[in-house]
Amino acid sequence: MTEPIVGTPLRQRAAQALGDRFLHEALDIATTKFITLRREAFDDFPEGERLRDRARAIKEATLQRLDEHLETLVANVERLGGHVHFATTAEEAREVVLDIARRTGARMAVKSKSMATEEIHLNDALEAIGVTPVETDLGEYIIQLAHERPSHIIAPAIHKTKGQVAELFSRELKRPGLPADPEVLTKIAREELREKFLTADLGITGANFAVAETGTVVLVTNEGNGRMATSLPRVHVAVMGVEKVIPSMTDLAVFLAILAKSATGQKLSVYTTLVQGPRRPGELEGPEEFHLVLLDNGRIAQIAGTLRESLYCLRCGACLNVCPVYRQIGGHAYGYTYPGPIGILLTAMLNGPGSVKELAHASSLCGACVDACPVRIDIPRMLIELRRQVDEEHIAPWTERVVFKTFARVLVHPALYRLGARIGRVLQRPFIREGRIRALPSFFGQWTKTRDLPPVAARTFQERWRDIP
Amino acid sequence: MTFHRLASDAPAGPALGPTARTTKAEFLARIRGEMAKTRGLFPASTAERPAEPRQRLELLRRELSERWPQTLARFRAEFERVAGVFHRVPTAADVPAALERICRERDARRLVAWPAEDLRVAIAPALGAAGITVESMPRAVPPEAERRRLRALIAEADLGVTGADLAIAETGTLVLVSAVGRPRSTSLLPPCHVAVFDRTALVESLEQLGLVLEAWHDGPAPPERGAVINFITGPSRTADIELTLTRGVHGPKEIHAIFVDGGLGLHG
Repeated sequence: MTEPIVGTPLRQRAAQALGDRFLHEALDIATTKFITLRREAFDDFPEGERLRDRARAIKEATLQRLDEHLETLVANVERLGGHVHFATTAEEAREVVLDIARRTGARMAVKSKSMATEEIHLNDALEAIGVTPVETDLGEYIIQLAHERPSHIIAPAIHKTKGQVAELFSRELKRPGLPADPEVLTKIAREELREKFLTADLGITGANFAVAETGTVVLVTNEGNGRMATSLPRVHVAVMGVEKVIPSMTDLAVFLAILAKSATGQKLSVYTTLVQGPRRPGELEGPEEFHLVLLDNGRIAQIAGTLRESLYCLRCGACLNVCPVYRQIGGHAYGYTYPGPIGILLTAMLNGPGSVKELAHASSLCGACVDACPVRIDIPRMLIELRRQVDEEHIAPWTERVVFKTFARVLVHPALYRLGARIGRVLQRPFIREGRIRALPSFFGQWTKTRDLPPVAARTFQERWRDIP
Repeated sequence: MTFHRLASDAPAGPALGPTARTTKAEFLARIRGEMAKTRGLFPASTAERPAEPRQRLELLRRELSERWPQTLARFRAEFERVAGVFHRVPTAADVPAALERICRERDARRLVAWPAEDLRVAIAPALGAAGITVESMPRAVPPEAERRRLRALIAEADLGVTGADLAIAETGTLVLVSAVGRPRSTSLLPPCHVAVFDRTALVESLEQLGLVLEAWHDGPAPPERGAVINFITGPSRTADIELTLTRGVHGPKEIHAIFVDGGLGLHG
């Protein structure tokens, strides 16, 4: 279980994001670019649609025998000399990693980008025992220096300008006067982080996949930090959600063919690294110890739960880019580790439906996410299910429940509906401006604050129907 | 709903016992318990694995050898699309000259390389004569002091020379299996990586890559095989600052492929 990052209500967070002109522009440019790149990649790849269906079927089939695949994975990782740990909660996962850090006397940990370790808030815990965690993905490095949180699954620092990064590096790295030039700033990060890679004791990564039949942990990066973290430190710890297991190398080839295309429009990311246990005898490099932490943290309960399908997620970020809500408010406004449409479901999975009583409504249910998702996760269906749960468990505010209940009653009784239309026609008169209702008083004003309401027609469809001779 | 506290919030000291740990049996039992509750699942299957992957791969190799020029053309186009630099030489004897040219253009003086047995071409004598230091990685387990020296050497090198176990045409990808004598960072730490290969490395697609991976993992691994396989598609890159594409953030800024038409081989 994880904590919310901010305590203010969603409405306030969203309003703040909407007021941030730079953020707005950055989000628009980034998401539009990702959408275009993704579309071009799939246009170029006729077998893509078939492979998406295959990938979806593989995820479902794997879940149907999850216990067997995990057992195979564990057996093979151990056969290769690795250690496997089982963590039911985020706290337990943190403790497992901390124990490894303490036992090996680690002072510094280099981290490759991992949503799983974000989710369990590992960095704070490492710092508390005197181990310095260093994020090495450039975007993650930037936000770590700025003490912020990632705002996009695959582009964590899209909310920052190059000017802000230059200022940040100048201040935090004690290199005053750096220019706002991405090329220069990237070079600085390379120098700073190269030093860390060569001296760190611990490499911490997530896993994009784990292949059960061969005991292989698969890491996908563009920068090469995943390779660094698994080659140079003397201990490697990979933290992964249980749903990341896939049966075979043949399955892996299917996922690799669609993952990068969905995320960044590349045919393949620059580096795909297959890690099979610790360094083998005679190898010059590689960790002496390899640990795999299998993380539950709410996932297992969803095997038979309403959010089962979200266990297919590859964390590619495609649904964020196409979401009309994410495109407006960005990742931080969601308030938790995982933003965007899938993020709402993952947040509910990790923290229970109560955590998304507002977020469950932060979607227009337009379905763009389903079309973009490489494994076609039906996110709107689960959002509706979550809204129902939130309502049934009386987590929603009473005003909302009363309004929806009344509305439901009116809809199923024709006489009431007709009466409602007639009353509405009278009551709305003072508020119609140019054929739209633009502002309602008091409580109802919440609705019209950000959108217009179409008025009840002068003659309703029913009335006109009745008059047809 | 109970929120677990962050470790940093927890009081320190001996009063806190070790957190209870989940065992493998408990973990799997919970998964089985949840699986038993599922209802009305639609039938689904995983990808069909080849029954005899090594025989299938043999057959594929023969098929590929009949149409390698098309495969190479596609590899080249895709490799260049991801900013790789493609070179083609007639015979293995021309490899040192091609490497020397690449070194001269970059003023690279210190090379680290796979041993000649793994490259299947000897490069050290010719390059050495041209004033370029080639440090070939040892094929035997080095003592600890030597290990440290070699690791520092790779970190300081201007250029890393490797072979390639596969070259995937569909994506312009080079596949490198780590092994004794083939350290992982030869293709990672130097600012420039050069891979030398011939037609036997070419495959057409990711689907064929799947078959190769199945074949490689069919039966016990050869004793010299390392613990990592890397797929490399272009130079290291990032777009994390205002989506500006920048190369060489952690790995090499440049990647070159030298294709040997006449094939590699030390005794042929």
